Amino acid sequence: MGFGDLKSAAGLRVLNDFLADKSYIEGYVPSQADIAVFEAIAAPPPADLFHALRWYNHIKSYEKQKASLPGVKKALGKYGPADVEDTTGAGTDSKDDDDIDLFGSDDEEESEEAKKLREERLAQYESKKSKKPAVVAKSSILLDVKPWDDETDMAKLEECVRSIQADGLVWGSSKLVPVGYGIKKLQIQCVVEDDKVGTDMLEERITAFEDYVQSMDVAAFNKI
Amino acid sequence: GAQELELLERLLGLPGGNKYGVQGERKVPVLHTNNGPGLTGLMTIAAHLVRQARKDQLLGSTAEEKAVVQQWLEYRVTRVNGGSSKEDTRTILKDLNMHLEDKVYLAGNIFTLADILMYYGLHHIMVDLTVQEKEKYLNVSRWFNHIQHYPGVRQHLSDVVFIKNRLYTNAH
Repeated sequence: MGFGDLKSAAGLRVLNDFLADKSYIEGYVPSQADIAVFEAIAAPPPADLFHALRWYNHIKSYEKQKASLPGVKKALGKYGPADVEDTTGAGTDSKDDDDIDLFGSDDEEESEEAKKLREERLAQYESKKSKKPAVVAKSSILLDVKPWDDETDMAKLEECVRSIQADGLVWGSSKLVPVGYGIKKLQIQCVVEDDKVGTDMLEERITAFEDYVQSMDVAAFNKI
Repeated sequence: GAQELELLERLLGLPGGNKYGVQGERKVPVLHTNNGPGLTGLMTIAAHLVRQARKDQLLGSTAEEKAVVQQWLEYRVTRVNGGSSKEDTRTILKDLNMHLEDKVYLAGNIFTLADILMYYGLHHIMVDLTVQEKEKYLNVSRWFNHIQHYPGVRQHLSDVVFIKNRLYTNAH
């Protein structure tokens, strides 16, 4: 996203094309998105880029109300056509191999504008991060643990399974489900943090109790 | 005619209950009042409703804006009617497209009655345009898409679709 370098003719052309069928940068009312882009443009666009000029004059008429327009100003790279490479801070028009690096660029000519936006964005990110705890991806897994035969001590089997401790693993309720011939399998629930515990690891450790456990299957796997 | 006025009433937040009729061959709308012959003419009734709703800014603020609003209201009433020929339609779209090249709204930077009545008047035309035509009259499309999203305007009228990627034109 982004328009490229809005201080260059090429960037203004991208903006012009983008605005040909739109009244505003985002949505159908003037917002901080328009202000962000407006402030990035040095002077009114030339007359041949008439869509950009139309938009520029229109947003200029909201100059006095700009603080009260809805929305939050984002980095310039967040606006504009989806297929344009984000080159905020870059001095040239050419498509270099830069990855989309929103938090900085290794270009020596980083403009004041881009630097300010980056600082602002970093500060926003930090404050957001410190305010609420990170949301961890968790899953609820239902495991089927099968014994060798009907003589196996299921209570001991359950004890063994529950003895498996790991960071990010919490055992839940369990029950014994008959499968036939007097054999019962242990169905036990657990909640895991996806980053820390995987079903492979669980399988390995459960089947390690060879005396009791014949096999283990994942009966159900749900993302929380 | 009369239908538009009902839509306008709702947009303006008026309580409603006005009685409308039509007059003559050209179906000019009439607002029946308790005393007297009633108020005649789309433009006239519409302006009256706007003042009733105390939304005078919809008629323009500066003298220039008011004039431009009047200009387009007159255009709407004289040129854009149910029975426009294909030729007329093309002229209307061309005129509007040219005018809207450097403006967001018909009167420039503010939303006015001109935009509202032109939207209602053009709706049946826009609904039938091909994708190519919508692109040809790009400024009209942009303006129309903007107005139909303005809160309270569209109501029960169908949403005219404008696709985002331009198929026919590359250079502007």
